[in-house]
Amino acid sequence: MNRKWKSIGFAAFAAALSLSASFAEAAGVLTIGRREDSTTFDPIKSAQNVDNWVFSNVFDVLIRVDKSGTKLEPGLAESWTVSDDGLTYTFKIRDAKFSDGSPITAEDAAFSLLRIRDNEGSLWSDSYKIVETAEATDPKTLTVKLKTPSAPFLSTLALPNVSVLSKKAVEAGEDAFAELPTASSGAFTVKEWRRGDRVILEKNPNFWQADRVKLDGVEWISVPDDNTRMLNVQAGQLDTAIFVPFSRVEELKKDANLSVLIDTSTREDHLLINHEHGALAKKEVRQAVDMAIDKKAIVDTVTFGLGTVANSYIPKGSLYHYDANYQYPYDPAKAKAMLAEAGASDLSLNYVVNAGNEVDEQIAVLLQQQLSKAGITVNLQKVDPSQSWDMLIAGDYDISVMYWTNDILDPDQKTTFVLGHDTNMNYMTRYKSDKVKDLVAAARLELDPKKREAMYAEIQKTAKDDVHWVDLYYSPYINVARKNVENFYQNPLGRFFLEDTVKN
Amino acid sequence: MHRYRFVLLRPLQFLPVIFGISIITFILVRLIPGDPARVLLGTRATPTAIANIRAQFGLDEPIWLQYFYFLRNLGNGEMGKSILYKIDVLNLIATRIEPTLALVICSVLLSIAIAVPMASIAARNAGRAPDHAVRIISTFGIGFPPFWLGLMLIILFSVKLDLLPVSGYGSTLGDKLAHLILPSLTIALSLSTVLTRSLRAAMIEGLKSDVATAARARGMPERIVFWRHVLPNSLVPTINLLAVNTGWLIGGTVVIESVFALPGMGQLLVRAIFSRDYMVVQGVAMVFACATVLVNFLADIATVAADPRVKL
Repeated sequence: MNRKWKSIGFAAFAAALSLSASFAEAAGVLTIGRREDSTTFDPIKSAQNVDNWVFSNVFDVLIRVDKSGTKLEPGLAESWTVSDDGLTYTFKIRDAKFSDGSPITAEDAAFSLLRIRDNEGSLWSDSYKIVETAEATDPKTLTVKLKTPSAPFLSTLALPNVSVLSKKAVEAGEDAFAELPTASSGAFTVKEWRRGDRVILEKNPNFWQADRVKLDGVEWISVPDDNTRMLNVQAGQLDTAIFVPFSRVEELKKDANLSVLIDTSTREDHLLINHEHGALAKKEVRQAVDMAIDKKAIVDTVTFGLGTVANSYIPKGSLYHYDANYQYPYDPAKAKAMLAEAGASDLSLNYVVNAGNEVDEQIAVLLQQQLSKAGITVNLQKVDPSQSWDMLIAGDYDISVMYWTNDILDPDQKTTFVLGHDTNMNYMTRYKSDKVKDLVAAARLELDPKKREAMYAEIQKTAKDDVHWVDLYYSPYINVARKNVENFYQNPLGRFFLEDTVKN
Repeated sequence: MHRYRFVLLRPLQFLPVIFGISIITFILVRLIPGDPARVLLGTRATPTAIANIRAQFGLDEPIWLQYFYFLRNLGNGEMGKSILYKIDVLNLIATRIEPTLALVICSVLLSIAIAVPMASIAARNAGRAPDHAVRIISTFGIGFPPFWLGLMLIILFSVKLDLLPVSGYGSTLGDKLAHLILPSLTIALSLSTVLTRSLRAAMIEGLKSDVATAARARGMPERIVFWRHVLPNSLVPTINLLAVNTGWLIGGTVVIESVFALPGMGQLLVRAIFSRDYMVVQGVAMVFACATVLVNFLADIATVAADPRVKL
């Protein structure tokens, strides 16, 4: 019996050894490790980044955002014109084919736009309610009429969720399409989806820019644990991994086989303030809170110096960012004096913290120490992230750290959420300013870029003066790739330009 | 054959157990604060969009009515639709069963493969140096947290020695087995310590038993006494110990699947809990509950078959 077991053990070990040779991926196929797997291939039914990354590999849009994340460029729409009243948009669709060989027509484009507006399962209906009609006036011309003029409308067409889908393929069965799309308009097609594990993409030979695509395929592989994901790249079993924690950057940079890629993002972390709670209703008190926070210290400790101090809710490098915006100096003594003057010298704040998030918990401890120097008592209340969201909505907090990333290049989307005095209480802050409210609405309708820029500068100045929230820091995307991978790039809106990536 | 009568009667007891579990998981998952619609829509959630999602998935109905629908669906062999993945929960679970099942089986086999020799050495040298060595090794096995142990094994076998895959599952049988070695070993290193202790105690008792003494009196060599009489008898309590540990083992796979990126039910459950995907949490909890009940039932049958004296 002993001998038998021994020989079985040896056999298993030998098998394992011989197998290890097969882990290396095929040449030309790029493997990317990420935290979570996709949830669907129907672009209108997801609002998750994990899905958007893959949607933009598989489907093309009418209008794209360029690599810098600040300009629009033609996608499947070769060109477009806007009527003088700003209500009618006419798009010329380029000669292109779906992966199944059928032509991409204006009818497919109209179908996709109306579907995201009307489909019961669409998570994006609200964003496209502004569309009055969309029709194919001829096979290559799409005419869209809006209910009101809208400066950001063109940039909303660049969202991966409103990608051009094949009407025929979707109508053949929505559920089947969501599982494995049979026709794609983008650089890659979906070959296989192993749920929970990986999405396997293959080069689409019918893509209108097929010459540009160097990779034979892409595999998006789910590796939820940050440590395991990094080890995979270090061991050479994955070509790239995204979401490198700040704390790992220095160590990975020392590995000669790896390049750490730091790309500009639109992420901004900020401290929400509940304007309806006691002394926080006073502008001077909020200004004192801002002055009591040493943002530089947060950037250095939490992001290991990889972030930059934020001075506006519109991130640096984004359209209409006002770089000359005022920045409150770090001055705890003055903050203390201001609080005393406002009759709030015994200010005590309830801080809702996302438990289990390393960065959020670090910021909480730092802020608690910093604010105490200005005489502010901070009580930390750690809760699960989806619970904290409920508490913020209900107004059951004084301060809390949150972040935002843009998914369209136009500032209108974030501005409306944060300062538009809409249904979400100005992103849970309960901030009120008639001046800002009117400016946000006017900036949406203003079609002259120069005038719009001035309006957004005014909004940023006023919001800063009122301390609608405290801007903390901007941080980049941090990804890691083996040295043989070139042009693995993520633009500020999060799109991966895999059509340009090369694996040597 | 009346010793086996329980095989027919016992399943009748399962129904109330599983019914009870369904109520508890149904209520518990809804008691955790948080709203699936809000998680699904992310930071851009508007009140109308949230209301729309809640209506679509019946989350705006009173909780007792939701439970009624859940039971009705269950009667039809369905478990409802996942909010996150928008497909039927049973279909979703079906794609995730294999890695978890394979992990559990490999871990148990590996634990036994580790525990039997360790316990034999300890029992045959009770009170002497080898016995103490085994005890010290066992204490280490329990002391290390599994996720840390898993990462250390990856660093050693995959990064430094480059012998085994870091993480994931495979598509062919051999590939899958290669991917299962490290995660199973991680679980086995802690599970085997529990088994070793129980086996050692049973073996020491067996070595002192009348059967063993009688065998020795007939002139049977000590080695044969051990393999033929002591070992089989000491396996009976071990089977039950394994069955009792099924729940613990399933809990262990949740952590290990995340560390090793195995696309099994544990990972599915974790993500479902974070996104408050109620239907999926209920579904996976039900599958785990049924598995535990079934394993214990099979262990009872095995015990009765292994030992003619046992009556249930």
